[in-house]
Amino acid sequence: MSSTAASSTVVGGRSAEPSSCVKKTSKRPKYSKFTQQELPACKPILTPSWVILTFLVAGVVFIPLGVICLFASQGVVEIVDRYDTDCVPASSKDNKVAYIQGEGDKICNRTITVTKTMKHPVYIYYQLENFYQNHRRYVKSRNDAQLRSPSEERDVKTCAPEDNVGGKPIVPCGLVAWSLFNDTYRFSRNSQQLPVNKKGISWKSDRDKKFGKNVFPKNFQEGAPIGGGTLDPKIPLSEQEDLIVWMRTAALPTFRKLYGKIETDLHAGDTISVLLQNNYNTYSFNGEKKLVLSTTSWLGGRNDFLGIAYLTVGSICLFLAVTFAVLYLVKPRQLGDPSYLSWNRSAGG
Amino acid sequence: MVRPGGLSVDSSTNHLRAPSRTVTLGRIQPQAPSFRTVYCNDRDANFPVRFKGNSISTTKYNVLTFLPKGLFEQFRRIANIYFLGISCLSMTPISPVNPITNVAPLSMVLLVSLIKEAFEDWKRFQNDMSINNSTVDVLQDQQWVPIPWRKLQVGDIIKIKKDGFFPADLLFLSSTNPDGICYVETANLDGETNLKIRKGLERTWDYLTPEKASEFKGEIQCEQPNNSLYTFTGNLIVEKQTLPLSPDQLLLRGCSLRNTEYIVGAVIFTGHETKVMMNAMNAPSKRSTLEKKLDKLIITIFCALVIMCLIGSIGCAIVTDRDHDYLGLHKKDWEYRNGMTIAFFTFFTLVTLFSTIIPISLYVSIEMIKFIQSTQFINRDLHMYHAETNTPASARTSNLNEELGQEQRSTGAVREKGFNFDDPRLMRGGWRNEPNPELCKEFFRCLAICHTVLPEGDESPEKIFYQAASPDEAALVTAAKNFGFFFYRRTPTMVYVRESHTEQMGKIQDVSYEILNVLEFNSTRKRQSVVCRFPNGRLVLYCKGADTVIFERLAYGMDDVRKVTGEHLEHFGSSGLRTLCLAYKDLNPEAYDSWNEKFIQAKSALRDREKKLDEVAELIEKDLILIGSTAIEDKLQEGVPTCIETLSRAGIKIWVLTGDKMETAINIAYACNLINNDMKRFMISSETDAIREAEERGNQVEIARVIKEEVKKELKKGLEEAQQYLHTVGEPKLALVIDGKCLMYALDPTLRITLLSLSLNCTSVVCCRVSPLQKAQVTSLVRKGAKKITLSIGDGANDVSMIQAAHVGVGISGMEGMQAVMASDFAIAQFRFLTDLLLVHGRWSYLRICKVVMYFFYKNLTFTLIQFWFTFRTGFSGQRFYDDWFQSLYNVFFTALPVIVLGLFEKDVSASLSKRYPELYREGIRDSFFKWRVVAVWASSAVYQSLVCYLFVTASAFDGKNSSGKIFGLWDVSTMVFTCLVIAVNLRILLMSNSITRWHHITVGGSILAWLVFAFMYCGITTPRDRNENVYFVIYVLMSTFYFYFTLLLVPVVALLADFIYQVVERWYFPYDYQIVQEIHRHEPDSSNADQLEIANELTPEEARSYAISQLPREISKHTGFAFDSPGYESFFASQLGIYAPQKAWDVARRASMRSRPKAPKKN
Repeated sequence: MSSTAASSTVVGGRSAEPSSCVKKTSKRPKYSKFTQQELPACKPILTPSWVILTFLVAGVVFIPLGVICLFASQGVVEIVDRYDTDCVPASSKDNKVAYIQGEGDKICNRTITVTKTMKHPVYIYYQLENFYQNHRRYVKSRNDAQLRSPSEERDVKTCAPEDNVGGKPIVPCGLVAWSLFNDTYRFSRNSQQLPVNKKGISWKSDRDKKFGKNVFPKNFQEGAPIGGGTLDPKIPLSEQEDLIVWMRTAALPTFRKLYGKIETDLHAGDTISVLLQNNYNTYSFNGEKKLVLSTTSWLGGRNDFLGIAYLTVGSICLFLAVTFAVLYLVKPRQLGDPSYLSWNRSAGG
Repeated sequence: MVRPGGLSVDSSTNHLRAPSRTVTLGRIQPQAPSFRTVYCNDRDANFPVRFKGNSISTTKYNVLTFLPKGLFEQFRRIANIYFLGISCLSMTPISPVNPITNVAPLSMVLLVSLIKEAFEDWKRFQNDMSINNSTVDVLQDQQWVPIPWRKLQVGDIIKIKKDGFFPADLLFLSSTNPDGICYVETANLDGETNLKIRKGLERTWDYLTPEKASEFKGEIQCEQPNNSLYTFTGNLIVEKQTLPLSPDQLLLRGCSLRNTEYIVGAVIFTGHETKVMMNAMNAPSKRSTLEKKLDKLIITIFCALVIMCLIGSIGCAIVTDRDHDYLGLHKKDWEYRNGMTIAFFTFFTLVTLFSTIIPISLYVSIEMIKFIQSTQFINRDLHMYHAETNTPASARTSNLNEELGQEQRSTGAVREKGFNFDDPRLMRGGWRNEPNPELCKEFFRCLAICHTVLPEGDESPEKIFYQAASPDEAALVTAAKNFGFFFYRRTPTMVYVRESHTEQMGKIQDVSYEILNVLEFNSTRKRQSVVCRFPNGRLVLYCKGADTVIFERLAYGMDDVRKVTGEHLEHFGSSGLRTLCLAYKDLNPEAYDSWNEKFIQAKSALRDREKKLDEVAELIEKDLILIGSTAIEDKLQEGVPTCIETLSRAGIKIWVLTGDKMETAINIAYACNLINNDMKRFMISSETDAIREAEERGNQVEIARVIKEEVKKELKKGLEEAQQYLHTVGEPKLALVIDGKCLMYALDPTLRITLLSLSLNCTSVVCCRVSPLQKAQVTSLVRKGAKKITLSIGDGANDVSMIQAAHVGVGISGMEGMQAVMASDFAIAQFRFLTDLLLVHGRWSYLRICKVVMYFFYKNLTFTLIQFWFTFRTGFSGQRFYDDWFQSLYNVFFTALPVIVLGLFEKDVSASLSKRYPELYREGIRDSFFKWRVVAVWASSAVYQSLVCYLFVTASAFDGKNSSGKIFGLWDVSTMVFTCLVIAVNLRILLMSNSITRWHHITVGGSILAWLVFAFMYCGITTPRDRNENVYFVIYVLMSTFYFYFTLLLVPVVALLADFIYQVVERWYFPYDYQIVQEIHRHEPDSSNADQLEIANELTPEEARSYAISQLPREISKHTGFAFDSPGYESFFASQLGIYAPQKAWDVARRASMRSRPKAPKKN
């Protein structure tokens, strides 16, 4: 009953605080705007006025931009001529593939009438459709190192299946080069030859850095089958601009590539006759071939998309501005109306 | 007579289980594995055994194991495994991408995770070091030498000073206290703050001074280290004498010494072999509900990925044919053999290609955000810093932050103790009796004598501290002290009271009362009595107890007093106060003596002692004279009612699980405003007549059956009623009160459903007298049965299981033991901080994490969908659209930081508004921001934006793109798309932010700029090997065209236009609550600053009080429970005179009960 007894009351008692908790160091956190999450901030609220203003501004900015784009695009004259079916003689219509793979000159004459004056330079494009230049197997089948430097010519490991022929490396290797487009066009106006300038049709960076000045085609198109155009083995790759253009693979299966430039103006009503070598096989996969003559504006070729998009979006914005303004006037919701709070709406809920 | 029970150690039986006492034959005898032999004070002798050192290490890794172990930990995550798999796939030839595309982000993610792990481990290491380097006095060469803990060895004799922690498990030898006892606090072990007594062997009492202690040469044979805290067996062999050791002599590491100047002990177990360390285990790790839902989202995305790949592979098998001779398919190829192989290989190609759909950096970003949220925001929130206990909040785990934003049930262990640790009861108004000074004195004398409180500390009114079995007791004694009856010392037979008599100002008199008998309180008696002898020989019985029991035992002729008191009691009771009646009775010595004999007989009875004691007590506790009543207000922690009120407005249902008895629990519930008189209450109590009858019959099976029947009946009835109310308009709110015994049966599988559905219909549920296990059971019932997100809050060891069972466990830190805190996920100093923790941090965290997740989902989906759309135009070949490096850096570089900023700084409304409109929290409960609907909206946004980015650019990039008519290639187009995408996706962050700090601008601008800078550099170089210079010079080519700028303006604007319109319409016509609140307060500046913080932090007592009063039940209830209450002198006398006096005394009581409590050696 002595000490134990007295202490039994200790058991179950509660000390308010362990006395060891002497205030030696305050654990009080330091104040900082960061830790207290009070960083100055702007708190945008989409109030009606802001919304209407935003739409108005967007509309006001976009419509003129659309007009400018459309104007630029409309100024461009573009003539498109599909020739892949017409250039197959009637006798071979049923078996185009055999025709294209057959021997002999596949010359074709096309006549193009200029409807509107085309200021020089007039750009000549060929357009292929349903041609998967962006196919994974196709895109990766090339070797940039080999294209750039003669010392890398044996580096063909990414080029399968067009890597070696008879054990010798192909330069340029790979499917992309192998399938080089090889239709050719010659233009004449009133029996007068229109010279085609094929210089400067590729991006300068490609010419200068990606295709070597001392890399010459080797063993190119020597295996069977032959995929497309051949290259002059005496001309370095950096000057083979058709190849350079071709090897900048297109993003989509319908694409245009620059063929050359006509450095004279074409006048409205002019009849251009095109002497065309129809060599490239797109018939096996129903690809279309088109010849395109086009001028350019500062914005590029004839493409109304940007202009129309700008105009549409601009008008939508203006329309929305008006709609929201009307809605706001007709059926306004007072800002910060407490009756909209969910717990006020359903009483007690 | 004081019941000597309650000690946590039963010393009488343990040494019977001591290991067989082998006699050791010299020191060379090999150690039997079952026990260890420790030679005290003899390092050389202990050396051969090589006991472990006392240094501890809680780190997970060391320098060598860090990399393998850390990586292993990382790859336990399914997402990382997935990306590892993808990385492996990308090294095969079927991969459309360079391995770097997947390896780079994965290594980046792993690196960040590993750095975080290393940082955390480093902190643990530092913590260990600081513990290992704290010093302790060790006996060396007859003097105490301080050495660091880690150098402590088994067998050392050490000295621990008052309030010091034991550095290892010690054998207690001697103490400065007489009788060789010392007091220890075991709060760190089990959360119990009451002091426990340890008693050294009499044989060792003398080894106190260094000189003496150095003579001590004992040999300890004891059990091998184990984790049982409450058992210990061993022998001490001193001078060929074998003495049995019991847990009484064991001082455990982690405990601290109290009320004892110093003790001397011998080290038995060290370091990791100490019992506390062997008990240390990792709390089960919890994952937040949101994270689980995130997993579902990831699985959904994965399914989408599989579907996309299937579409692609089937498409590829159909489209790819040999007719496309430029593809070179005329040559045999393992991949393009036939439709089946094409489909098969393309599938994996596409999986690799589309792997970005699963955001690789999501987990690591979320982890980082949560880490900063918890370490920087929660831990450092001044709103949650409690100055009085010097405790800031602490998030002990960072992976549950957003869970706090979704609590639906808070199974608050709103234990009485939990709430009033701070100030033992607040005295209020209390005692009503006629202004008869003698009776008045009796009143306080009764309070000062009739209790089992133990004073501690200096014997001055300011510094004394009362250790009491219940806070009520301490409160009443404190009340008496404040009214001039200062109980300052107790010996086993005497109580010393310093009486200052008010009628004779300044006269102070120390009076000692001899305590002859104590008739203990128990739940059947509901009263407690003390028989004492005044110095002048007067014999008095003081009794206090529940009104019903006291009234039964009053002497005749007390009707007036009884009536008046009854009225008071009713009044108190209706105010939610707990009442007690005080009575006394003068005894005549002869009657007493004869009674005392019976009492002693009863006490020494071997059978039915309790019952006999009760019977004997009945004999003397009669014809009492009523002196008055007390009412005690359950002084909850500051701000608790407000907090609970706020939380329930926030849609959180609160369950009280308490070990208290029903009356107390109900009182607390009243005080917390959980139950009020407007509520329909369902009481399921085991204290019904039927059950009691059954219990008296004593057949256990019968009792169980009866209780079960009763409970079933009650539950059914309750449920029916509840469902009726459900269909009536203006239904009353329902409350369920159930006690532990009934709960035991209600938790039975057959009744569980009924219980659950009843309780879910109730606004508040109070479970009283529940065991810790039941607390956990109830919690998991709600968690699993009702699929609700639960939070448990508690402060004691008995809350641990509950804390661990809930989704989120919150421990109240600062005063009670650490047990609850250790088990918890968050620790806060005050219950009321729960408001901040949930409504501010939790809500924000939830909001932020939701937005972050959604944003990640959106940005990766957009990114991948563009790729997907492109696949359609490549003959499903799986050609990649983006350059390898663009793709690999998209997640970790070009879009990484803004989303982290969003996750850190996003707030919809300010902290003060969050608390002002607690209803906003319901958006989290409804999971408004992470519903499948929201996911769908984001997904459509991603589809739309990807289409815009892809189609707009490809449609417009077809023809010549500058005046020189040159044509873009694949990589030009893709870089254009990528640029638009990076801009759109980064700007989307600003569109979705409610609060845009300068960090938003910096990171968004920085990300876009980073992309451009990267593009400039990357496109400007050619690498010698192994890379096709797809994008060489691309950005320069692009930027040389007007087209680039026109597209750059158009595409992001169009992409974001739809989202903008959606947001406008949503805000205008289907506003979220937070948006309305934003609008209401749109003109107010952010109101919080450091000064106001101080005020906000301190809820003034007046405020709390006035609030509590305003919350009191409006009508008088029949409800009178136990309560104690007492105002100060001033207000008492003033109110007697009908004058209103400010509640100053309240402050007096408060101040007196504050914790200024220097420890003095206890004098027994």
